[in-house]
Amino acid sequence: MPRIPYFPRLLSEGASMKAFLLLLILLVLPQLAAGQDAGVAEGLYEADPARTLPWWWFFAPLSALLALLSAFLFYRGIMKRSEGNERMQEIASYVRQGAYAYLRRQYYVVGIFFAVVFLLLLLISLGLNVQHYLVAFAFLTGGFFSGLAGFFGMKTATSSAARTACAAEKSLDGGLRIAFRAGSVMGLTVVGLALLDNTMWFLYLYLVHHQLLGVEPMNLETIAMVMLCFGIGASSQALFARVGGGIFTKAADVGADLVGKVEAGIPEDDPRNPATIADNVGDNVGDVAGMGADLYESYAGAILAASALGVAAAVNMGHGVDTVFAFMVAPAMLAAVGIAASVIGILTVRGREDASMGALLKTLDRGVHVAAVLVIIGAVGVVWALGLPWSVLFAIIIGLMLGIVIGKGTERATAAEYRPTRTIAEQSSTGPATLIIAGIAEGMLSVWIPILAVCGGMLVAFGISGGFTDVLAGLYGIGIAAVGMLSTLGLTLATDAYGPVSDNAGGIAEMTDMPKHVRERTDMLDALGNTTAAIGKGFAIGSAALTALALLASYVEAVRIGMHREVAAAYVAPAEDQPYAVRDLGYGKFGIYLPGASGHVDSRKHFTLSAFESPGEHTRLVEVTHGRRAGETVELFIAETGSQARLAGLEDAEGNSLAARRAMLKDFMHYFDVTLTNPRVLVGVFLGVLMVFLFSSLTMMAVGRAASAMVSEVRRQFREKPGIMLGTDKPDYARCVAISTAGAQREMVLPAVLALCVPILTGLLLGVGGVMGLLVGTLTAGFAVAVFMANAGGAWDNAKKYVEAGNLGGKGSEAHKATVVGDTVGDPFKDTSGPSLNILIKLTSIVSIVVAGLIVKYSPMVSQFLGMG
Amino acid sequence: MKMHLYLICNRFEALVASQLEPDAFGAYMATGPLRQTTGEGEVLFIEIDEDRIGEPFDIEWARQHCVPHSDGSPKRSKYLSIYRVLEHIPMDAYGQLYMTTRDGRVLGIDHTDEEIPDNDGNSVNMYMELSPIKPLVVSSLGPADFIRFLTDFENPIHVPKLFMADMLVDMDEDGRLAAYLPYPNQEHIEECLRQVTSSGRRKATKTVNRNPAHGGFFRTIRRGFFLGNREKVLYYPFPDKATLDEHHHKWWRSASLG
Repeated sequence: MPRIPYFPRLLSEGASMKAFLLLLILLVLPQLAAGQDAGVAEGLYEADPARTLPWWWFFAPLSALLALLSAFLFYRGIMKRSEGNERMQEIASYVRQGAYAYLRRQYYVVGIFFAVVFLLLLLISLGLNVQHYLVAFAFLTGGFFSGLAGFFGMKTATSSAARTACAAEKSLDGGLRIAFRAGSVMGLTVVGLALLDNTMWFLYLYLVHHQLLGVEPMNLETIAMVMLCFGIGASSQALFARVGGGIFTKAADVGADLVGKVEAGIPEDDPRNPATIADNVGDNVGDVAGMGADLYESYAGAILAASALGVAAAVNMGHGVDTVFAFMVAPAMLAAVGIAASVIGILTVRGREDASMGALLKTLDRGVHVAAVLVIIGAVGVVWALGLPWSVLFAIIIGLMLGIVIGKGTERATAAEYRPTRTIAEQSSTGPATLIIAGIAEGMLSVWIPILAVCGGMLVAFGISGGFTDVLAGLYGIGIAAVGMLSTLGLTLATDAYGPVSDNAGGIAEMTDMPKHVRERTDMLDALGNTTAAIGKGFAIGSAALTALALLASYVEAVRIGMHREVAAAYVAPAEDQPYAVRDLGYGKFGIYLPGASGHVDSRKHFTLSAFESPGEHTRLVEVTHGRRAGETVELFIAETGSQARLAGLEDAEGNSLAARRAMLKDFMHYFDVTLTNPRVLVGVFLGVLMVFLFSSLTMMAVGRAASAMVSEVRRQFREKPGIMLGTDKPDYARCVAISTAGAQREMVLPAVLALCVPILTGLLLGVGGVMGLLVGTLTAGFAVAVFMANAGGAWDNAKKYVEAGNLGGKGSEAHKATVVGDTVGDPFKDTSGPSLNILIKLTSIVSIVVAGLIVKYSPMVSQFLGMG
Repeated sequence: MKMHLYLICNRFEALVASQLEPDAFGAYMATGPLRQTTGEGEVLFIEIDEDRIGEPFDIEWARQHCVPHSDGSPKRSKYLSIYRVLEHIPMDAYGQLYMTTRDGRVLGIDHTDEEIPDNDGNSVNMYMELSPIKPLVVSSLGPADFIRFLTDFENPIHVPKLFMADMLVDMDEDGRLAAYLPYPNQEHIEECLRQVTSSGRRKATKTVNRNPAHGGFFRTIRRGFFLGNREKVLYYPFPDKATLDEHHHKWWRSASLG
């Protein structure tokens, strides 16, 4: 295989993904076509340049392509439909232009951010040797694909609203199909691109990388951990899409409502309201691009975390390479099954002309249930074909059930048919204060269902996978449950993204004076979208929590690899008469090195055992040959063994095999003193909780400021252009979109910097224990606060709708005024701060994983410098 | 440009000359020339036939002053009278009633020659008096009888002429005011209704609120508006919801706070 020295340069210069993928295919296909062994890879731990992949693995990338092809066909089908009359096209074009204007601005800011982080990642990998340099490139592809999914989703959604309204003129089913298929484009693009990114990188790392660069092939553990770090690209993109999108949409919504509706008495979706187009753009920005990026991150993160845990668990159990490989790729295979099931589920969604709201909801439910059943059937096949333990199947079912339970819990907490929202609504009769109190109280109470569901699901998935005897196996079960929950994301995201399309369709029908029967149909589609949106929010939070849990579990593996990377970088050649050299790196870290290393870092680490000093049952006694403690015999835990080191059969001073047993999770916990009596851990927990509240506060204040700017602008336009209200002058819609966009981009910088920097600073100051405390604090508090905010906001929103439906006095009553206040307070709760916490809990984990090596290497120095031991 | 005479007949009484057509005049009155985004609420006005308005008003003065601006734009408003206007306009001068929403949408309704509805199955009615006095009252009298009662000079409490709206007092199965009615202090309204119902002819009317709020005003109109004195009562029927939604959707959406 020829080497291509300019290959990395091509990537760094941002060559198109098309060229990159083409190159991969060109490199890989000849091997496959040569008819090499299609069985499970042999010689995994050898420098075997001719690895092959089993035939069934290709089901994963093919499924990804199926998702993208289906999305393309749905998109083409939608675009063939009429966009209606000139006025409808005009309104739709305003929304489209606004959406593009927002995306352009966001991608500009994100581009700068990515360039900076890319350089930092290169610095910590190539400069400090604490991370693999490919993480920097995968960071770009993860972010690029996530952004691409958002772009396609927005493009489809904003092109579909007018078409939905137009189709609804002929039939309800026509409108439903266009809106739902528009949502499906987003769902399928997200899962398709995420799985394609995942599988292409795996293909590259497993088959191509070592041949291309002439280095040792990576073992599966390294591949899994390097790929786990790839999640940071998707997470960073999600941060901007979710936080920025959340600020945009609520600034526009609150501005449109406060001035347009409350002050000027203009109804919803009235073209005289200058902020109405920004409001419609915001629906797409928040619930299409934002939600899509959020779930892209969860989806990619869950697959990567489960893969990493699978490899760790299988290696720990002492399985052979076939099983390790099966454990690693199982999440991607399940995702592939989920995609096929989602496509079938989407095709089953169609409504009847005389359908009621309940019937429409059942139609969507039918699609979701069909997909879930198909996933279970497919999972049976995957488990059987890969020879995985059947507990994996049960973990998948637990994940699927968790998704349903959390969705139903959200529905119960926010739908007007249930007690909590009714209670809140009834409090409106005594004014906004009691309504706010009731909303906060019910929102707080509502966290019990998702928290207990996640706790129960976590324990069952952990236990059923054997976690109480083998922790890593149990953690793998949790990771698989997260993948199971997200397996039908193609469909569940379609039901979420459907909401803004039908909402915008209703707006266009109103703004263009479409006939009554059309408005009735679009209203029905919109009402359905409101219900699915609330359930979708619960699903997004639940999946984020489960993904973050899987990432948290993977963190120790990242620490293990980080430590190994540091040790490998400090290679010393053993003396000629010694089988190995042992070097003291300080702070209890040791490297055990075999002879024969070349000069390349990636080569050396395969000849290395990393170890740390800590008392325990499975330590090894070795004599230190280099460093401050040279000549001493120390008791070491072996943290990680390179591939050659395992084969070398080295023994310690007592004749025990050095590579027989790696340090377990609890050994790391012991070494890093991750116990509740360690103040670093406790401080970390508190910092995690603080992060949640600080982040919520920042995002909420951002909405307040951006909304104030919007309010001033709308007032200005009414004041300076009296003809707007009389219908003789046109509002400046673009100005409102620009204000929301600028506000969103400006205001998201501080939360973004906070989310990225705090894990690093905490790690450097408080070490691994502090980071684990931070992750626990962020996850537990973040999950609870996110659920609270989403449910309280959703319940306030639906309490208002309940009153508007003609209860407690209906529109114009004092109760209605109180619920309008509640809804306005709840807007940033449910659409900005709550969803942004999804990102925070995942991003904190993924940043911690990416910088684990940095923390392992430098935090002891910082601690010593600060006199903290 | 043609000059119109409009009688503003809610919140305050005023006879206004204007060169604006009713739609533009309503929008202007509701939203103002330099809107400060603070809505002034709904506006009700009736077009007055200047040929029948009679002596008390100086129409010639209005004609002289209600002329286009120097830039050619129409004169929006020239006030002729702001005190005791309703009582001095003859009954045969009243034309269409225009209902203007907060955001300036206007819908005109004509008075009808149809028989004025009586109690229509409701033993008790609720009337929002709009001009010249403004209390909310419940009464066992039908609309025409109520106006005759309140404009009866022999009655110690009377006005020369009255403009009022007939309001919804639908009850639910529990005997409470229907949940969709936006009235504040509903227990008090229910108590007033009970008192009038149980008192027979002894207490035909009872004041509910001397200065009622107008929240959700248009969606609480029952049969329509009534204007009259002892001799004559004009009935402005309010369109049913289906008609409003079908033919006047934009107005109804604004009026019902859509």
